[in-house]
Amino acid sequence: MERALIIKNLTKSYDKEPVLKDLNLDVPAGNIFGLIGPNGAGKSTLIGVLTGLLDFEIGEIEINGLQLDTANEIEIKKDVASVLQPPLLFENFTSYEFTTYVCEMYGTSGPDLNDKIKSLFTYFEIEEFTYVKVRQLSSGSRKKLAFCTAILTEPKLIFLDEPFESVDVISIGRMKTIIRKLREKGVTVFITSHILEVVENLCDDIAILHKGKILAYLDAKSRRELQKDSSLSEIFEQYVEVRSSGEELLNWI
Amino acid sequence: MIARLLYLNWKLFLARLTRLQAALIIGYSLFLVGMFINILGTAVVVIFLDSTTAQLQMDLPWLTTEIHHLILLVFANVFWILHFSFTSTRHINVEENRKLLAYGYPANKLAWHLNLMSLYHPVNIIYNMTWIVFLGIQINSAWNIPVMVCAVLLNYGIIYSIKQRFLKVIEQRFRLIVGSVLFVIFGVITLVAIITRDPATLFGKLAFQLSEITAVLYTLPGGLLFHSATYQHEPLVTAALLIFMILLTWLIFRDHYYKTLSGLYSPEFRRTEKQISVIWAVLKKWLGPNAGKYFYYVAIHPYNRLQLLAIFIIPLVYVPLLLVLDFGVVTQILVPTLLAAIPVALLAMGMANMFGYEHKEMLLHMQLPVPLKTQLKERFLGIITVPLFIFYAITILEIIYLPELGTVFGIYIANTFFFLCFMLFFLWSSFYQYQTAKYSAFSYKHPIVPQKVTFSISMLIFIMGYAVFVPLGDLEPYRLWFMTALITAIVFYLWLNFESLANAFRRRILIKLWSDY
Repeated sequence: MERALIIKNLTKSYDKEPVLKDLNLDVPAGNIFGLIGPNGAGKSTLIGVLTGLLDFEIGEIEINGLQLDTANEIEIKKDVASVLQPPLLFENFTSYEFTTYVCEMYGTSGPDLNDKIKSLFTYFEIEEFTYVKVRQLSSGSRKKLAFCTAILTEPKLIFLDEPFESVDVISIGRMKTIIRKLREKGVTVFITSHILEVVENLCDDIAILHKGKILAYLDAKSRRELQKDSSLSEIFEQYVEVRSSGEELLNWI
Repeated sequence: MIARLLYLNWKLFLARLTRLQAALIIGYSLFLVGMFINILGTAVVVIFLDSTTAQLQMDLPWLTTEIHHLILLVFANVFWILHFSFTSTRHINVEENRKLLAYGYPANKLAWHLNLMSLYHPVNIIYNMTWIVFLGIQINSAWNIPVMVCAVLLNYGIIYSIKQRFLKVIEQRFRLIVGSVLFVIFGVITLVAIITRDPATLFGKLAFQLSEITAVLYTLPGGLLFHSATYQHEPLVTAALLIFMILLTWLIFRDHYYKTLSGLYSPEFRRTEKQISVIWAVLKKWLGPNAGKYFYYVAIHPYNRLQLLAIFIIPLVYVPLLLVLDFGVVTQILVPTLLAAIPVALLAMGMANMFGYEHKEMLLHMQLPVPLKTQLKERFLGIITVPLFIFYAITILEIIYLPELGTVFGIYIANTFFFLCFMLFFLWSSFYQYQTAKYSAFSYKHPIVPQKVTFSISMLIFIMGYAVFVPLGDLEPYRLWFMTALITAIVFYLWLNFESLANAFRRRILIKLWSDY
């Protein structure tokens, strides 16, 4: 099976404090992959490393068949898009200027770009902000703008860090529709979230990250088996050491 | 609660002060205390000893009563304008303070306390105390004191009102600041320069106009304040003035209270406006997407408009002045230094903090499939374009119109050396003194470049000016060859080490951006 992402023995530290510890992960191409983990598990750091914003001490990363190193960096970036949390945007640009700028950098600003922008902005109901400065947009609109822009760069692999945070229910549904469409086109979607419901119905394969380590990798088949008897939340709790709720400490309330 | 708010407000203010600012504030406060003691001393002298007027007239014969009045009125009016720029109106930031309502802070109390906090803000205290001390020195009788104190309070209230209502205008206060600063600088320096040359003739010529100028200055806000301390006391006039001012002050502060209260209850509506930027379109076409975007951010930063204005106005006025006054060697150094400083100042605007304008956006640039080295190189080349153009224009103008400054080769090499040295300094500053370029109407700090860099720039301009432009006579060729060698070395170093910019970015800036993110 073709792999979109292969991570081998990845270790990343901040001030000698390891955040990702000997991490191994394989993500099949054309998969909607969900990485779940509690706050502070290392999800954002992993996205930072995979998108080239952070370096790493030990390990190997292969993206779309290319080793992530200085020589291949630009080749890899051409086929990778990301929507981080909070989304990275150009605050002094209008939505249109921002999207066209990024597409131009990716080399996807063909003659039909304006039509594509218009249709996506209309679909996500942000067309009225087309010529509004990004810094004036609400957090939901910002997320939608970042998502639209990422799609327009025509990536083979897309990283979505907490993609549905601050987005309204209708737009979440529309984002999910697009994500599924992307899968049909063979695009790999890598989603990170700490909200299990987000990934439960959308993702094919799921991995649980905790304290910088992958504790479990559940492909679609094994998930179906496991979820016959228990919910994803219960599976998650089995893997992550969940402390006793400690309700007795709150008797004073 | 007010005590706690005040404590936090002062603590915040003091914590943000740099050592230099703290030293300046302590120094100025001591000066104010000194002046206040001086008032008391003067009162004692006036009451118990002979007047020293005769002695003064012997020492400063040009300082007649009219001229003295004129100087005081100019100061009062300029200080009044400056007061606008620096009056801290922190309570306008109701977005933040509104949160206190959620913690049970009664709205009416909060509105009142916020107004008091603004009045007790260190900067406002310093300004109002300066007024009291300045006017206190001028008072004619003890009855002027309550009127003067009332006038200062009323003045504060009025400034506050105007500032609240025209916040947008005040945020774009550059013209006011530049105007007043230029007025002070040019006024004082020209005055001193002229006085030192031929005071008697000058004041003889001006004498007939002084009364007219003074009359106009008296009608301006600073003049009115001055008048509150110097008018001839009459019981009825004083009583009427006091009642009127107390009433007006009370009404204004009541208005502030209600405005603050309504501000606390009704959040500001955030309008979204459609904007199409012509500047960005032009810059993108001219410099390309990377350099164009960077230049666009530099160009639209509100603080840079002030800088741009100051950069072009100061030499425009100073150079002709210095040329006319002709101080000999000093002019020979000062004129080329001022002219060479124009492109340097322009360069500083963009280059002294290359990543602060875009800040976290640089993370997105890192994700784009364009080599970081290319992006940085384009930014570097883009930002030197305009200063370089100005640099060449100035050099050519110097060669044509100011041949007395040196030979064509000499002027060219000296200016190039000056420009290149600062370019290296700014590169260092970008990587080692990085800070986010923020802008706030109430900030006392330079919003783009750290204070130590701005301080170094002003020092370096004059040190370099003396090193490069001071006439050396027969030794001149040696200096020229030395500078030529250094220029060659700098250019080669930059050309060969462009890669190191990308490495320095990853090592020093990227990690900070990610931590901030």
